[in-house]
Amino acid sequence: MKKIAWLPAGLRGNLQWTQCPRAIISNTFPRGPGFQAPKNQFSTSNHLQASIAAPEVRFKNQGSEGDELEGGAVFNARLVPNSASYFTAQPIFTDDLLKLQNILKRYANLPVLKPGDAPRVAWRSLADYRNLVGETVKAAKYSKIVEVLHRLNHIHPSLMPQEVQEALNEYKRDVNPYQNQAKLGHVNTLGKALGVGRRKSSSARAWVVDGTGEVLVNGKTLTEAFGRIHDRESAIWALKCTNRVDKYNVWALVSGGGTTGQAEALTLAVGKALLAHEPALKPALRRAGCMTRDPKRVERKKPGHVKARKMPAWVKR
Amino acid sequence: MASSNCWRCLSRPANASLLPLSRPSFSTTAFVAAAPKASTKAPARAKGEKTLRIKKKAFVKTGKPPAPGERKAMRKRIVLSNTNALEVAGMKDLDAEMVDSMVRGEDAVLDGALQSKGETHEDVVGKVVGLKGETVDSLRAVEAFKTTQGWGLFRRPGLLIREESVELCRRMTDAAANKKALRLVIDGEKGSGKSLMLLQAMATAFVKEWVVLNIPEAQELTNAVNDYTPVDGTKPTLWSQNTYTANWLGQIGKANNAVLQNTTMRKEYKLPIPVQSNISLARLCELGARDPDVAWPIFQAFWSEITNPGRRPVLICLDSLSNIMQTSSYRAPDYSLIHSHDLAIVRHFVNLLSRPTSGLPNGGAIIAATSRSHAPISKSMELAIKQSEEKAAQLRGWPGKVTQRDPFEKSYDERADKALQNVEVMRLKGLSKVEARGLMEYWAQSGVLRSRVDEETVAQKWALAGNGIVGEIQRGALWMRI
Repeated sequence: MKKIAWLPAGLRGNLQWTQCPRAIISNTFPRGPGFQAPKNQFSTSNHLQASIAAPEVRFKNQGSEGDELEGGAVFNARLVPNSASYFTAQPIFTDDLLKLQNILKRYANLPVLKPGDAPRVAWRSLADYRNLVGETVKAAKYSKIVEVLHRLNHIHPSLMPQEVQEALNEYKRDVNPYQNQAKLGHVNTLGKALGVGRRKSSSARAWVVDGTGEVLVNGKTLTEAFGRIHDRESAIWALKCTNRVDKYNVWALVSGGGTTGQAEALTLAVGKALLAHEPALKPALRRAGCMTRDPKRVERKKPGHVKARKMPAWVKR
Repeated sequence: MASSNCWRCLSRPANASLLPLSRPSFSTTAFVAAAPKASTKAPARAKGEKTLRIKKKAFVKTGKPPAPGERKAMRKRIVLSNTNALEVAGMKDLDAEMVDSMVRGEDAVLDGALQSKGETHEDVVGKVVGLKGETVDSLRAVEAFKTTQGWGLFRRPGLLIREESVELCRRMTDAAANKKALRLVIDGEKGSGKSLMLLQAMATAFVKEWVVLNIPEAQELTNAVNDYTPVDGTKPTLWSQNTYTANWLGQIGKANNAVLQNTTMRKEYKLPIPVQSNISLARLCELGARDPDVAWPIFQAFWSEITNPGRRPVLICLDSLSNIMQTSSYRAPDYSLIHSHDLAIVRHFVNLLSRPTSGLPNGGAIIAATSRSHAPISKSMELAIKQSEEKAAQLRGWPGKVTQRDPFEKSYDERADKALQNVEVMRLKGLSKVEARGLMEYWAQSGVLRSRVDEETVAQKWALAGNGIVGEIQRGALWMRI
């Protein structure tokens, strides 16, 4: 689905419905019975109005063959929209909010968990919601929905009604980042822990064992592997910043890239292997910069440029 | 106005420009105004030239340039004391007694019965010992100190005693006692203390009153910076470097003065200059140092004197061995390169190093150290060292084969192969933690190292220095100011 949140409001509504009929949306974001997609997908009429507003009026000259039966009836009733929200600026949003508030009102007496004890849920972002409904929803308005969702989420899980669960599911992000569990490294039977790290185009594998601070990189000592003291410090930085230089031995294989890249790939590798031995060190290692992969790479060269960004010198004629 | 020229004669005036008639009389403008002005603008650029040329400012000379040789003197200057450094309390000096006790301690450990009589080697290992004034003078005379070693940081020179130095001490003492020659090549990583181990051997020899000969840098012998001349009556031709030899004799005489001045010549030699019989060997050295032309014959006489039975043991050292394991940069008259082993001093050293029968009847040691920073790669030397180590490992019962020479390698040197056939190798590794700690405590006591010396810092420096490579520990702790 194209992002259209940046478009002006009127255009956005139309675009949303032309490019993405409700039928498709309803797969990912099931809505209530009032929100059923129109049956006639090829109709030129505005679907938005069809779902919320009053049923379509059939005029005499329209659909000449099928309408023969009720041909002579005079249509003089007052038009009433399906939903009262039709007269608000954001009818779908208003409907959503009202629906959630109604649910909350109904189940307000159910026992709740202590604040903070509820399962962590990542709700849809504002931009995501705007894209779905195709309306100009302000952040403050959407936060009202989130507020209600938050309260509903605190209902005790053992008593959580099916209806509430379904309503909550509508607003959950497709992937819940809080469910993502980092894989823990493990120390094998020989007491070795393997860590892998990358930086620039180097990649390093480090096996960390209990020891006395001896380091071998590609079979060489640290001085032979890295001429610069700075690089040597980078290589065992995870051990140094946690004061564990004399507690472990490191045996590492590094390949690719230059010396700096190799040294900094080792930082990550040793850090992760150390984490397998002592998981409690994670915050300290994160603060020391031994956990986060630096995603920077060499920028590609572009045509017309001398390098990635550099332009040829200006020459008169 | 009176003219300096004679009015009556027709000769041309001396100063033509002053001649009033040379300018037109009808002009009213000043004479100077008519002269074309030198334009102050830069010359116009040639047509089609696009680049902008800006004249650089001329280099302004400030101060006096150093006199010839001054820069080199600064570069080669060796500073052995620093009055700002603190005196280390309780530092013992290296003397004969200490050497004996070190050896005794080693023996006791080897026998498995460690008597705690006095000082055992356990107490000394990891300590820094000072050098006595005389020893320092002698070492300075043989150029054992080098500019890169950082002596200038401390109040006075001190040496770290490590496991290997005790071992070397013991072997030297054994060699002297058994009247055998210890032939040894010291090898190790860059910065692992090979030159310092040579210095230690020399210091030990000086305090035990050996005769010490040192070639401080082998490349000086082979890189064709000294004069050289063929030695008469030698075939194939041997080349002597007379100035170098003379200088070397001077150094030997000065450094070993204490021993040599009490030793008199015993034999008569056919020398190009008349030499008194019964003169001391110190005097003989002086004679040789004075005249480069006779330096080589006198050195030969000197050598046969000090290797006479009943003399003191001899230590002969050479640094950066690989320089003398290939052809030198000297040329023969037919413009072919002279092999290093055809140079007289080198031949002398190599014969001693390679000869399995002792060339030193009074005992002594021939020690060569390799250099890993600024030295040519000698495939033969590398192979010989490797094979020697592997043979030693086999003798100790470790599994493994002896490396064979690479049949496709062209750059082996036959004569070098022969010379290094069966030398022993002492490999220097990193310091142990105890030794590293001792060294760092010495630095801290000297006021050079400001940080606290505890298990943690020692372990960090030790690990960063590639498992205790001593030069790297020094680099990380003393020379890097972070």
